[in-house]
Amino acid sequence: MSNWFRANRSQLGLAGLALGVLLLLAVMTLSATPAAAAPQLQGDKPSDDTCLTCHQQEGMNAQFGGQPVPLTINADKFSASVHGTEKIACVDCHTNITGFPHPEVTASSPRDFSLEMYSTCQKCHSEQYQKTLDSVHQQALAAGNTNAAVCTDCHNPHTQTRLTDKVTGKLLLGARLAVPQTCAKCHSTIYDTYKQSVHGAALTEEGNQYVPTCIDCHGVHNIQNPTTASFRNSTPALCAKCHTNETLMKQFGISTNVLNTYVADFHGTTVQMFEKNYPDQPTNKPVCTDCHGVHDIMRPDNPQAGIAFKKNLLVKCQQCHPNATTNTFTDAWLSHYEPSPQVFPLVYFVNLFYKIFIPAVLGGMLVFVLSDVYRRFIARGTHGKGATQE
Amino acid sequence: MSDTVTRTYERFPLARRVEHLIMLLSFTTLALTGLPQKFPAADLSIAFVYILGGIENLRRIHHFAAIVMMLGTAWHILVFGYMGYVRRARLSMLPSFQDAKDAWQAFLYNIGRSKAPPQMGRYTFEEKMEYWAFAWGAIIMGATGFMMWNPISTVKFLPGEVIPAAKAAHGGEALLAVLAIIIWHMYGVHIKRFNKAMWTGKMSEAEMLHEHPLELADIKAGIADRPLDPNTLRKRQRVYFPVAAVLALFMLGGVYGFVNAEKTALTTTERHVPTVEVFVPQTPTPAPTQTPTVPPTETSLPTSTSEAQPTSVSTPATPASSLTWDNAIGALLQAKCGTCHGAAATAGLNLSTYADAIKGSNSGPVIIPGDAANSLIVQKQQAGGHPGQLTPDEIEQLIEWINAGALEK
Repeated sequence: MSNWFRANRSQLGLAGLALGVLLLLAVMTLSATPAAAAPQLQGDKPSDDTCLTCHQQEGMNAQFGGQPVPLTINADKFSASVHGTEKIACVDCHTNITGFPHPEVTASSPRDFSLEMYSTCQKCHSEQYQKTLDSVHQQALAAGNTNAAVCTDCHNPHTQTRLTDKVTGKLLLGARLAVPQTCAKCHSTIYDTYKQSVHGAALTEEGNQYVPTCIDCHGVHNIQNPTTASFRNSTPALCAKCHTNETLMKQFGISTNVLNTYVADFHGTTVQMFEKNYPDQPTNKPVCTDCHGVHDIMRPDNPQAGIAFKKNLLVKCQQCHPNATTNTFTDAWLSHYEPSPQVFPLVYFVNLFYKIFIPAVLGGMLVFVLSDVYRRFIARGTHGKGATQE
Repeated sequence: MSDTVTRTYERFPLARRVEHLIMLLSFTTLALTGLPQKFPAADLSIAFVYILGGIENLRRIHHFAAIVMMLGTAWHILVFGYMGYVRRARLSMLPSFQDAKDAWQAFLYNIGRSKAPPQMGRYTFEEKMEYWAFAWGAIIMGATGFMMWNPISTVKFLPGEVIPAAKAAHGGEALLAVLAIIIWHMYGVHIKRFNKAMWTGKMSEAEMLHEHPLELADIKAGIADRPLDPNTLRKRQRVYFPVAAVLALFMLGGVYGFVNAEKTALTTTERHVPTVEVFVPQTPTPAPTQTPTVPPTETSLPTSTSEAQPTSVSTPATPASSLTWDNAIGALLQAKCGTCHGAAATAGLNLSTYADAIKGSNSGPVIIPGDAANSLIVQKQQAGGHPGQLTPDEIEQLIEWINAGALEK
């Protein structure tokens, strides 16, 4: 290091000189800016204080295309926000503003303004921005639906607090609680349904951090269209992410065999094979959500609609088997149970029978075949008479 | 010696060989399309299903092969009836106690505990075992297959649990059948000695002597297949054919019912798709962070605030003498200064209304009627560079208005 320093001393001297000249120039430029501008400008880049001189005034408004836009920024909230704590300046996003008067806003509406602005986010959040380009929101936007969510609809850049751990990148405890409310801004009826569900109630009423929020199933940023065949076909794997997790399920006392038992039964076998070979083709075989619900997932033992009750389950069966009219039909599905002498004993004993019968029969055959092999191909010489010569 | 090699006996007529071929093909197809369904997670299964064009296609093939096997079985029953009633052939396939004794003796012979192998007739105990295993399998597979194919019809008579039990039995029996074919049939007919009789229909005298000595003896004695006199034959045929026709119809009807008893479980039913309204925003536009208070501007409607603001002209084309707050200046200042000096009242100056404007800022009045030169608002504007800078024309208007007394109306 010190060698390098010595060897490059002349270059460093030159660099120092250049730096000095630049500094001088900067100072001169500064003093040359019109002093009349009441708030002080730093070079071409107004400081946050400069902006806030006006923009923390209560009740500041502008009109874009006849619609009001609030211009007041809550300075406290901003400095508490992740952008505030990371010292992101106003003009880092509002790049076209270098002083006052501001350049004219050409947006025809506040929404139009948001749509013009949001791509600024990619300057710092490139990864997330790229993901959104794959999302259903972006597709809707490209198709002309200006209501489709862009970055700033979910993350108010002036108030958004930190969501993920700076080091691990994991979602912070507590951040999950706010997720459904964020989505609810546009998907309010779905949120209302979700709140009633076993997952949603645990989150919104008990503050349980371990139940899925919107993003656990739909993803973040690259949110996919959930009505496609491929999304539907991947449902069992999606639910299994949590429902086969021993440590997670232990907290709730829920079996982790739900996927195994599903795949072992008619419907699951088909869907599993289907998903492996034709993930994007529709199948009419049920996946988890067809019986358990989508946003309205209930406890199976819910007295009103729980599908542990045959009459409720039959309704689900009838979606695909309209001719099934008796509760006995529901027993054709093992309801995620593993057959045992107590539950579905017939199935258990049939399985047990074949577990004994198959080795017994095949074993008997093998003993005989091997004895024949022994005589024909091994003991031929010692017996003195080849069997085939008989 | 050469005689016994060249002299052959008919073992299977063509019809039986065709029957065997049909069973061979349908069984193999059923096994190949069935096992992937029993082991759906295996990579081999998934690859095989893919080759066959998907799981639904695989099931169609499986069902087709099942129909072929059912028809083959029906045909076999008719042939069995013909042999038994019309030909009065010996029911040489029926198992007997002798078969058990033969098997035991063969085993003892194999392990060197018996001097001679058993002497057997037309069908050895190995062949009988395979035949009856197949018959047993056909019954189990047919019954359980029906239950899975027609679950709704089945549960009208049986508890729902029999459907998954049928599936368990179908899979278990299938595994047993396939492995038994591999161990017993493969070894007995292909490995131990390649037995071509089921393809050529013939067997040499040497082979007969070795494998079916009792039958050979009967043939030589002329008692194996006694010819019938044509009259008796015709008489019995006249009885049997109508019975067989009815039986055939009955069995065909059975197969038809098997396949068509119900549709919903197997054919594609329109899937029930719940629909939800996706975009139901809580606020009309999701973006605003606070409820805006709308200041009157030249584009806003008079109803927007408490203070009535008459519609005003946007360009200062009014004659000098007629300039008032209401007809020009108010709107001008609102538009140019209102962002900061509106409700926000930066530096205490609110230019929203005439009264507030005259009141001035924290530094005192900014408009001194009749004295534009000493009005702070004019001084600030003339200095230039103020945020919300008026154009020279607009400053002229402002001066004119103040000098004329800064009238409201």
